[in-house]
Amino acid sequence: MLGAATKRSAAGEGEPAKADQPTGATPTEPATKATRGAKTIEVRDVDLYYGDFHAVEGVTMTIAPNKVTALIGSSGCGKTTFLRSLNRMHELTPRARVDGHVSLDGEDIYGKGVDPVEVRRLIGMVFQQPNPFPTMSIYDNVAAGLNLNSSRVPKSRKDEVVERALRGAHLWEEVKDRLGKPGSSLSGGQQQRLCIARATAVEPEVLLMDEPCSALDPLATLAIEDLISELKNRYTIVIVTHNMQQAARASDVTAFFNLDATGKPGHLVEVGATDRMFTNPTEKQTEDYVSGRFG
Amino acid sequence: MPEIARSEYLEELATLEASALGGLDLVDIALARTMEAVENQDVELAQVVIADDDRIDGRYLEVHQSLITLLATQSPVATDLRLISALLHVLKSIERMGDQCVNVCKVIPLTGNYAPVDPRMIELIVKMGGHTKTLIMQAKRAFEERDVEMARDLVRRDDAVDALNRECFHLALEIGDDTDRREWAMTMLLAARAIERVGDNAVDIGEQVAFVVTGLFREFEDASHPS
Repeated sequence: MLGAATKRSAAGEGEPAKADQPTGATPTEPATKATRGAKTIEVRDVDLYYGDFHAVEGVTMTIAPNKVTALIGSSGCGKTTFLRSLNRMHELTPRARVDGHVSLDGEDIYGKGVDPVEVRRLIGMVFQQPNPFPTMSIYDNVAAGLNLNSSRVPKSRKDEVVERALRGAHLWEEVKDRLGKPGSSLSGGQQQRLCIARATAVEPEVLLMDEPCSALDPLATLAIEDLISELKNRYTIVIVTHNMQQAARASDVTAFFNLDATGKPGHLVEVGATDRMFTNPTEKQTEDYVSGRFG
Repeated sequence: MPEIARSEYLEELATLEASALGGLDLVDIALARTMEAVENQDVELAQVVIADDDRIDGRYLEVHQSLITLLATQSPVATDLRLISALLHVLKSIERMGDQCVNVCKVIPLTGNYAPVDPRMIELIVKMGGHTKTLIMQAKRAFEERDVEMARDLVRRDDAVDALNRECFHLALEIGDDTDRREWAMTMLLAARAIERVGDNAVDIGEQVAFVVTGLFREFEDASHPS
């Protein structure tokens, strides 16, 4: 699907992540209602750079399908950078570089001949600020990905996909009578659900979310969290959040990133089942962070 | 990483812990008075213990409410969360210990102001009280010092209390056929049983020490499946 997987060398010289065994990071309850192509992301010895700046060091973890994995840590610890490396958005920044392996169900997403655009279709992203295309209608916002990925989608098929995506994002009932109105006419919470509908319309296998609720009010936040817990039945979800209660509420697995000092690379300190991470973490750094002792 | 102390919250949590564990000092006083009342058939002192139980109940309500407020406003997690959960249990145990002292004091007037039918029974109960006082103070110290070994040792000490309680039972069996004597013995058995429960409550507090430290809750001894 991604083209020939080519092994890349792990050039990073950083320490391996001091984390649970990846298998231990995956809660043991059976995946519920896993009906479609949610996939496992394997991350091995990933180092991320912006030019000479070593931003993230030696991350190794397994991101389980049909689970919500939350990435937490203080500002500058590299969690967003790491998230962006999972669908090859990191490399869009000039002089940004990735070392190590990231694979989607065994296929190297950085392999030779792999099309980064196809990677980003399979691994969608929802951003901090809801960013619907402001001049496009609600309908066209959702259909935008389809138009980009394939020029000849029949109207009837497009209607079907738009409705399904909007229903999946719990937005259909609110917008079905005004699909021609601009996306920017919606409230912040609706816009974010519109962006989720846009991301899911192209049928990805993974959804990456970068602080998807930080610009939303508490009610809209809870609506998105409910949606996330429903979406995990169909997708692998990775969410970056500064809101620890959100990580505690909305995720199954939590990964804590930290950095030893400003200017040093961020690294994965500990990853594990969310209930354990918030009641009895193994590492003192994790304990201090989740308890609000620093950060 | 910049240290953010959350100093007010942490100070309040520490104060609430001290206040909750201070409830054990109140129980200690109540138990000492209870034993004195048993030993001397002192009905007035027993009434003082009963009236004073309001202080223990008041401590329970006050600290309990403050802990609930901390849960609602500070979103404690990890060790802080375990500590608050443990303190809620400890408070309940303390409140029960106070009630057991009241239970003993309530039966003292029933035995009247006469000399005890069998002084050996009184001796055994007072001895139980002495052991239980040690248990209470050891539970408090184990919690303050987060000492799991000291907490586990409470089981051993509690065994001595249980053994004395069984001795009371055997004495009661041998008390004879006289109705008044049997009634007295049964009343004193209720008192012994109440003191025995105070010891069990001290062990419960020890189990909470282990939970705070390890994050795992396990009964030190399973009463329904004894080893």
